[in-house]
Amino acid sequence: MADSVVYQKKIKRKKSLYSRIKESRKCQNILTVVLPILFGLLIFVLWQTKVLHAMMHTDTFTLPVPTRIAKLFGENMSDVLANMRSTVLVAFIGLIAGSIIGYLVAVIASIFPNMGKGGLNIIGAFASIPVIALAPVMNNWTRNISPDANTRSTVAKILVVMLIAAADMCLNAYRGLTELKPYSEDLMKTYAASGFTIFVKLRLPNSVPYIFTALKVSVPASIMTAIVSEYFAEYIIGVGREIRENIVLSQYSIAWVYISAACIIGIVSYIILMIIQSVALKRYH
Amino acid sequence: MEMQKNTQEEIVIRHLGVTFKDNAGNDVSAVENVSLNINKGEFISLLGPSGCGKTTLLRCVADLQEPTDGEVRIEGMTPKEVRLQHKFGFVFQQPVLFDWRTVRKNVELPLEMMYQSKKQRYEQADKMLEMVGLKDFANHYPRQLSGGMQQRVNIARALGIRPDILLMDEPFSALDEFTKEKLHLDLLRIWRETNKTVLFVTHNIQEAVFLSDRVCVLSPHPGRLSAIIDIDLERPRTLQMKETAHFNELVSEVRNSFEGGSV
Amino acid sequence: MKKLAQKKSFQTIFWIILVIAVWEIFASIVEQTQRMPDNIMPHLWQIAAAAVSTDKVSGGMTATQVVLTSASATLLRALGGFLIGAAVGFVLALLMQMSGIVEKMIFPYLMLIQLIPVIGMAPIILAITKDINQSRLIIAAILSFYPVATNTLAGFKSVEKEKYDLMYTYAASRRQIYTKVIIPTTIPYMFTGLKIAAPMAITASILVDTLQGDGGLGCMLSQALRHAMNIYVFWLIVFFSAFIGVFSTYLIGWIEKLVSPSERALLFAKHSSKKKLKPDKNRSHFSMRPRKLAVYHETDAM
Repeated sequence: MADSVVYQKKIKRKKSLYSRIKESRKCQNILTVVLPILFGLLIFVLWQTKVLHAMMHTDTFTLPVPTRIAKLFGENMSDVLANMRSTVLVAFIGLIAGSIIGYLVAVIASIFPNMGKGGLNIIGAFASIPVIALAPVMNNWTRNISPDANTRSTVAKILVVMLIAAADMCLNAYRGLTELKPYSEDLMKTYAASGFTIFVKLRLPNSVPYIFTALKVSVPASIMTAIVSEYFAEYIIGVGREIRENIVLSQYSIAWVYISAACIIGIVSYIILMIIQSVALKRYH
Repeated sequence: MEMQKNTQEEIVIRHLGVTFKDNAGNDVSAVENVSLNINKGEFISLLGPSGCGKTTLLRCVADLQEPTDGEVRIEGMTPKEVRLQHKFGFVFQQPVLFDWRTVRKNVELPLEMMYQSKKQRYEQADKMLEMVGLKDFANHYPRQLSGGMQQRVNIARALGIRPDILLMDEPFSALDEFTKEKLHLDLLRIWRETNKTVLFVTHNIQEAVFLSDRVCVLSPHPGRLSAIIDIDLERPRTLQMKETAHFNELVSEVRNSFEGGSV
Repeated sequence: MKKLAQKKSFQTIFWIILVIAVWEIFASIVEQTQRMPDNIMPHLWQIAAAAVSTDKVSGGMTATQVVLTSASATLLRALGGFLIGAAVGFVLALLMQMSGIVEKMIFPYLMLIQLIPVIGMAPIILAITKDINQSRLIIAAILSFYPVATNTLAGFKSVEKEKYDLMYTYAASRRQIYTKVIIPTTIPYMFTGLKIAAPMAITASILVDTLQGDGGLGCMLSQALRHAMNIYVFWLIVFFSAFIGVFSTYLIGWIEKLVSPSERALLFAKHSSKKKLKPDKNRSHFSMRPRKLAVYHETDAM
């Protein structure tokens, strides 16, 4: 027994500081938080001290320092908010309408799986059509719906977002409606459940996590689509359009304000999605 | 009666202990003060319910896990030295085959690590596949094989490097009873032909008794060695032996040796 | 098996015909009711006629020539950016796999960049670089890099612990573990990233075109829209870019079948044996974006 104690001590001493840091869970958790912050700080400092400008061969006119962007953001708050509202509105309505349509299409496809699968392949192909090709077409199609240019443009933009969101939702929801746990459908059949009951009690709940999988892709995609379709819209409004207009006018610092606004929209909407998901999927975990 | 045929000690486990830290940071003892000597060419089973540390013990021997206490010596060497000499054949519970490699290429994989020539690898793989009865399937891909066949490939791969010690971690637990019995007989035949030392982890009492020279019974919380039972059934073993009274006596003896009596 | 295959191609054809039929019905309605039907929804045969017509529409070139010339400028830059982005994405994922510190430092930002509409930054990148070709490359590269990086990283993480244990018992070197286990496992994941990245790179490149009157698909698109050119050039570009977007995804799927070891194994297995293959739950060829879904699960940790 005595030499085992000696041996134990020897092992304990062998561990280096490095390996102890590596094995300690606490240290790892701290690093997970601290390292990204340090990295972010590094970029911030490089940017603020204009080292970044030297690296990219540019000047503070084209790439203003972060503090200046923040200051301008505050000064132009009302304009920025109005444009953000337009972009968010387009992305949100398009996302919701598209997701509902996509889900309904998936339901129909799951009722007629034989033909449905082929249809979904076509929708999958639609999903890889560049937004650039869709946006001007939608503009043309909505030309006569309203005398007001803003309304026309908004509808056109919403339609593009809708198509993108619908394709994402449709493909994922179909999987959620059809990829059931083994034997669960057989179990329902032993209860003599009708097709409708199976749908409500089994397929529908099974598809909920898949809805969120789709949304995680389509929320950022909707915002991107809204921004790109603003470029082609008739009426000049929206965060994306303002980026472009300000650059045309050589107001680069204002363009950066709108770029940061676009980033804020992207990040905040994703955080909101995560919160909704954690509430909705509580009983799935 | 300490083994009539061969009493040379190969694996020596002394006061082995392994503690993990759980999520709350508390020490949890998985294995506590296990001492065991294993002779060359012996077939030893480590038997116990889940959570008794039998796999942890096996992983310590294979150098996949560092003991926090005590030591393992294999012919005087540390597990690491033995591992670096390619003397372990490890068979996992899952076949762990590489989908993109044919059966032959899967068996050749460890030989590639040993920088053997193409020809050497080919011949060795052939021999091993013949031994496990899969020669006709050499050019198939793992997904084309049944679970039992996949596990045979796994065994062939482990034997391919001509290891001194075969370490098996519940290799048959996912297989059906018919396949399992067949593989038991195959394993015993291969063991007899190659004369390896086998350390076999299982939670199946019949399996342990049928295969082993000695059954080491481990009890959980914390994992410790509660009994070592000699299995004096004749070799070679046959399936008929399972119906004899003596086999059943041994099974009861093993079962009763769990601390706190039968489960 | 044969019957099923026939059925599948039948289905695809059925749906394509259906889509064409719906388009034509609406085109007829538009033709009757609208003042300028060409702008809204021309008949498909009219677009096809424009494609083969020998009328010069701009600079002594036919419509198809205009589209193809501008497409080559746009698509070559898209391809260049795509390749650079994919390479950077792969290397970054590899670095993150090899070093825990790099992974911890970069991973949150990799997730963040997916939420930021990078494409909105195209004009400012043009302003910084002052060169349209360079901006096309950079934007296409940025948009390609993160799907490849996240999916490749997910591939690295998907290697089972048992495989590492197995290689450890063989005393395999780090290099052997990478070349024989990790990289082959990761290839299908990387291709999923590439499939997502390809249409994005093309979209980006076309978008950058629209920012400056320097040729390229996007530029021609805007010009045709402003009626500086025959409106059918617009329709040709719309259909062409839609086709290229879809085609790029399929093309990468075909390349995957050629080079990916596991795909080749699957293909070979199908031909050599009648035994039914077990479907791999993780690999779905049905959805266009299977891996992206897997990756997004990981962002939950955020």
